[in-house]
Amino acid sequence: MAARSGGTWRRGERPSRDRPLRGLRQGCPPPGRASGPRPRAPPRQQRDRRAGGGRGPSAEDGYTRLLRQQVEQVFREHRLVAVCQYNSLPGEDVVLMRHYLRKHGIEVKFILNEIIRPFLSQSKYKNLLPLFVGRNVLLVSQDTKVKDMLRVLKGVPQINLLGACIDDTILSRQGVENFAKLPSLEAAQGQTAGALALLPSQTSSLLQRGPAHLTALLDQHILQLQAGQAGTPPETPPAQSSGAH
Amino acid sequence: MCVHRAAQADALSAADPVVRVCNHDCRRRKFLACIYHKRIQSTNRNCEITADVRHDGSEPLVDVMFADGERLLMKGANLTTIEMLTALGSRCNAKELKEEQKSKKKSP
Repeated sequence: MAARSGGTWRRGERPSRDRPLRGLRQGCPPPGRASGPRPRAPPRQQRDRRAGGGRGPSAEDGYTRLLRQQVEQVFREHRLVAVCQYNSLPGEDVVLMRHYLRKHGIEVKFILNEIIRPFLSQSKYKNLLPLFVGRNVLLVSQDTKVKDMLRVLKGVPQINLLGACIDDTILSRQGVENFAKLPSLEAAQGQTAGALALLPSQTSSLLQRGPAHLTALLDQHILQLQAGQAGTPPETPPAQSSGAH
Repeated sequence: MCVHRAAQADALSAADPVVRVCNHDCRRRKFLACIYHKRIQSTNRNCEITADVRHDGSEPLVDVMFADGERLLMKGANLTTIEMLTALGSRCNAKELKEEQKSKKKSP
């Protein structure tokens, strides 16, 4: 039976169903609590309690906001953002993979789907949304060293490349592999300059062909004249139109 | 849950699964995540898992080649992760039973 002491219930004692209403009426509820069953906590607080986080609603929103800002920063500051499926990997392999990728300036970022999905749905990267199912990892870099990234990922079969966003262009896995086969910027510039210079050089040689042929003919004619003066009577030179150069 | 089911079935014994994943296919990705779990991997270290990621709208597919030449092909977008794991697990269990019976017959 619940005992009342000083207007409050003793700790650990609850009114039971079998007690008559009289027993319940004897006590009064503690201050600040309305009569009736205790209201259920909202789902977010229940999840926090289960997870043992114990953070208040305002602190969690602030942390979520911070994580979303970090995601925005990742997409803003990095030219290469590759989305990979992360399967179970031993800790040592994760460390090694991070080490080899960092050698090429590629960082590994683990981001929760609950953080990144709302950001993507409101940004121009919404076509990446279907990739963020299950456990994912982002490989980000300020350069577009896709070839190095693919070489490292070849040795880690548990990480599967799903797609990437390179210079604000969303590519599939095949697109990323084709991008890796492209030549470097300097090589591409050299090839373009060579192709552009080819046509003018051919035009120049075409224009020079006529005068070069005429020069060769005149030289041959002079040789013949000199040979004729030396041994035979001079021949009448063929009528030639004086070509104006 | 799917990891527990697959571990119970002692999956991946003498199997080489090739998983074709489409970008919208979350069930195949969950299947892949389940069979990559360390408890499942520990049942057969010689198993080679290959993930073939495509974005061409092709049908999602799980192609498992067993050591005895038998092939298990699971295709269709209407299979759930649990169904695929159960099918793979039941095949693996059946093969193990056959192996045990054979070894019992050989040894008197």
